[in-house]
Amino acid sequence: MTENKPSLRLKILGLVLILSGVYFVFLPNKYTALSIIDFFKGEKITAEETINLDAFSRIPVLRGGRVKPIDSVARNTLLVLRNKRTALDENGTEVPAVKWLADLLFDPERADNLKTFLIDHDQVLGMIGKKLTRDGKYFSYNEIEPFVEEIERSAQEAGKIEREHRNYFHQNVTELYHGLILYRNLKTTLTPPPHAPSSSVHDHSQLEPMFFNEEKDTARTDEYRRFRDLTAEIAQKTEEIKMGNSEVLGPLMYFIDYYARFNLFAEFFPLPPEPGETGGKWRKIGESLVGSEPLDSKQKAEIDPARFISTARALVASPDVELPAKISSIRQNLKMDPTALFAAQYAEAIKLRKGIDPIIELYEKLGPSYRAKDAKAFNQTVARTRTIVNERAGEEISTLAFEKTYNGYEPFYRSSIGYLWIFLIACSSWLVSVFSKSERGNAARTLVNCAYLLTGLALIAHTFGLAGRMYIEGRPPVTNLYSSALFISWGAVLLCFLTEKFLRLGIASAMGSLIGFGGLVVAHNLSIDSSLNPSGDTMEMMRAVLDSNFWLATHVVTITIGYSTTFLAGFLGIAWVISMLFRRLVRTTGQGRDLDRKLVSMIFGITCFSLFFSLVGTVLGGIWADQSWGRFWGWDAKENGALLIVIWNAIILHARWAGIAKVRGLSALAIFGNVVTAWSWFGTNMLGVGLHSYGFMDKAFAPLMIFICSQVAIIALAYAPTLFALPKSKKTPYPVD
Amino acid sequence: MTGKKTRPSSLSERRKRFAWLIPLADLRLTLTLLSFSMILIFVATLEQVRIGIRGAQAEFFESLYGIWHYPEQFWGGGLLNPVPIPIPGGYLLGGLLILNLLAAFVTRFQWTGKKMGIQFIHLGIIMLLIGQLATQAMQEESRMQINKGESKSYLERFHGVELAFIDVTDPDTEQVVSLSQNLLEQGGLHYTKDLPFKVRILEFGPNCEFNSLPPARQPTGTSAVVNRGVIQSANLDIRPKPEDFSSEGMNFGYVVFELLDGSESMGTWAAISHPAGNHWWAQINPKMGDLAFQPIRTGGRLWGATLRPEREYLPYSIELLGIANEFYQGTEVPFNFESEILLKMDGNQTRRALVYMNTPLRHDGKTFYQYQMNKAADYTVFQVVRNPSWLVPYVACILVSIGLLWQFSFHLARFLHKNSGKTHEAA
Repeated sequence: MTENKPSLRLKILGLVLILSGVYFVFLPNKYTALSIIDFFKGEKITAEETINLDAFSRIPVLRGGRVKPIDSVARNTLLVLRNKRTALDENGTEVPAVKWLADLLFDPERADNLKTFLIDHDQVLGMIGKKLTRDGKYFSYNEIEPFVEEIERSAQEAGKIEREHRNYFHQNVTELYHGLILYRNLKTTLTPPPHAPSSSVHDHSQLEPMFFNEEKDTARTDEYRRFRDLTAEIAQKTEEIKMGNSEVLGPLMYFIDYYARFNLFAEFFPLPPEPGETGGKWRKIGESLVGSEPLDSKQKAEIDPARFISTARALVASPDVELPAKISSIRQNLKMDPTALFAAQYAEAIKLRKGIDPIIELYEKLGPSYRAKDAKAFNQTVARTRTIVNERAGEEISTLAFEKTYNGYEPFYRSSIGYLWIFLIACSSWLVSVFSKSERGNAARTLVNCAYLLTGLALIAHTFGLAGRMYIEGRPPVTNLYSSALFISWGAVLLCFLTEKFLRLGIASAMGSLIGFGGLVVAHNLSIDSSLNPSGDTMEMMRAVLDSNFWLATHVVTITIGYSTTFLAGFLGIAWVISMLFRRLVRTTGQGRDLDRKLVSMIFGITCFSLFFSLVGTVLGGIWADQSWGRFWGWDAKENGALLIVIWNAIILHARWAGIAKVRGLSALAIFGNVVTAWSWFGTNMLGVGLHSYGFMDKAFAPLMIFICSQVAIIALAYAPTLFALPKSKKTPYPVD
Repeated sequence: MTGKKTRPSSLSERRKRFAWLIPLADLRLTLTLLSFSMILIFVATLEQVRIGIRGAQAEFFESLYGIWHYPEQFWGGGLLNPVPIPIPGGYLLGGLLILNLLAAFVTRFQWTGKKMGIQFIHLGIIMLLIGQLATQAMQEESRMQINKGESKSYLERFHGVELAFIDVTDPDTEQVVSLSQNLLEQGGLHYTKDLPFKVRILEFGPNCEFNSLPPARQPTGTSAVVNRGVIQSANLDIRPKPEDFSSEGMNFGYVVFELLDGSESMGTWAAISHPAGNHWWAQINPKMGDLAFQPIRTGGRLWGATLRPEREYLPYSIELLGIANEFYQGTEVPFNFESEILLKMDGNQTRRALVYMNTPLRHDGKTFYQYQMNKAADYTVFQVVRNPSWLVPYVACILVSIGLLWQFSFHLARFLHKNSGKTHEAA
């Protein structure tokens, strides 16, 4: 390369490339809803006459064990149903997640026409009489509704088959069925399912006047209030609780049963702990009205009616101050006694649950104003709901505003676009450098420098994404398979960025962006795998044994860095194979030897890192296992996988030290490291055995096999250079071994 | 390797004196052994699906070699499955690796400060290998199930049974004499002064299947010789089955034994142990309830015989005060399993403790881990481990860490030295 200053044209080219990167990664663009600027702005202020869904999307609710904004619920459930974070309307225009959820909650008839479900398996499409080529793959609830029973039947059939023997049809139909349940549950979170008293048990004429009546009642709260009047009356006249008194007990039992079932059909918890409750839990609407059923409904059949009535009466008759203690004593000591447990729930419903939660009334008001497009009323109600919910939720909502903006910014999506861009730039830099005349040499150098700077930019977004998750979750970066993919790609890109700082060849940038992009694609696919992520929330709660920030921060992070560096060494090996083949093709000998030397030292140095991190991580894992299971090493599948990486890295380094592996050997060994790491990362989980099988999945099997085969093919290419060395070539072949 | 100014003759002298060790220390041998270890670990991991972790451990890791058959359900499985493939086992590879490393210490490693890191790392690796061998030889795993409000003073082995004879004549004290699984496997005649009869073990197996036959049919299996006790009265046909090593495997151990008064036979009994505890027999079939206690009357005393998980009695007892099993709201993800216990030691000394995830109870060389819990039935199960060599991996880790730090600081020092040299030149 000559030391000429880049020309003005090149300077402009560089600037344009960098600015395009900034646009993809940080600025408002058409690919994502929000940009970096939104983190500094407060809430959007909308005109009074438009419905303020932004404010609505910020209302805190509890789903999946975590308090989150409604926005997250909308996005996550759509991710499960449609594998995207938006819905489509009849014309195929995108509908934002929160708009879709608002429709579903307040105007279900409209929501039922939105294209919400992804069905792309031909057999499942056939069930609902659709064709992929004609009808596409997105369908509304109304299109599927007539076939729900058939889908349910097929899913139940599939459920009887052992997991490993289910075929794609079984998987797809089960997924669709779960999606339909999720959709219906969302619908009945704020609005109870229709009344259906059985004519043999209930006296319909007695119940009818209590039911919500669309013509007479303003809101469903009127029905709740009538129920409350009934319980208040019974609480006063305990003697009414007696065998055979169906006039009073009939409606009571019907409603308690009905509201308790409403709990089962609600997807999230909209009601924060009540004021003054210490260590209180969030409630569903049914729970707020009647508490929750202590046991499976089926166990009601085992109730002894006489004793149930007498226990319930005695409980209701006891003074207010004593009742909670009595109920909790039953729940503690009579766990195997359905009669006592259900009596305790009845006593709670009759006497402890008082009034109607004001938040229920507010949610009830949202519906009519939303349907009538009465923006003023809707916005006011949302504002009041938020004030009350925020107040009652306490500290749990501190990260919610951030989470809402973070959702819209989509840092990983942005950085993956950035990585793709970098990869293209780095590749074109090599193409340009092949014709290494002075002007083009400068062009190549500009491109390489741009790729380097852009890596830095994309890395900032990627880092921000990880840091945002850590802030929201209050956890170290790696908590599940999804976040391990985020972190592995981040680690590799970071190392590439540092390597590129010293060795400005464009190779580290290209390989780093390739791993970065690949890792983020893997992460995305993990997030839409409904067997792995049934709730759609990638920030799921950690089960008890993993609930240790210390070990997550040490063992899990080091092991993951080990994966990351091993992949990086492998991809540098691939880079060598490509460059070697390329040089053979165009028969340049140019800087071959120098490039090889640099690549060898890069691969070698990174493998040293790999050995260090995988060894330390594995050993830390052993110590954790000793602390929680009583053995340092148990030959568990995931442990074995980690050990394979350690041994493989040791083999690479010792082969190098012994002088057995030179450039070609070292590259081939490093590429095989990809296979070993992929096996340890995913393959071991597919076995479905052992203590670490928290992330079992079967869908990833085919991609894993394809990846492994591709790596083996590249190794074979490394050893088949003679194919390209034409016999008539006068140049001596470049020595690689 | 040569040209060291400090103790230049040390390594070459050692190489001369231990020339016969040089081939054993070869790096190519190391690479071969490591490559075989990869194959071993990979194959053994795959085999866990078929034979369970314990089975794979016994077949491959705790053996000199294992035999592997290519899985039938893989591509070309029908063709390749019948071919037995020998895989070098854990003891073979581990042993050879230790030898290879030791030989390298003598004939290849330089005992100099600069290379001290390498030596520490490899010493740590040797310790890890030896520690694992020691653990596999010495570690004992048992379980302890306690109901809420009750105390327990014994452990039950996860695997392994014993034939226990219990004298319950005196309502206040029980006398227990038991024959361990080792003795049952040996077979033959056993007697002790504590037992009023001799016991001849006719057959023992770790697992069986059993069928209650209609009265008209005679058992033809192992239990054909039985003429006393529950097996005879319930007309059970017992057939031996290979031990199931998988983690959910249910192994019904069985034993057929003859009791002798002097040289005169008192009859032939059989017993089966229920893997979840012998109290389950009554639930399966009321006729089989007595498998928990088959009465034997002799010399005016009442004895009971039962085959049960091998027990270890402790000099202390543990009372379960309470359990907690909490879930994240609206999910099935548990965030806490916790048992509150009272440890009752000699001389009325007591100690309260909480046992929960990542925080076991350590007492008297044993560690009690929270293992299972049943909230509805109010009981907890601890996994109890005694591993005298538990410290070895920790020491090994410290050695490896020191070694790594040592090597890294040398590299760093050299790097800094180089760089400072450059700045001097520049100045």
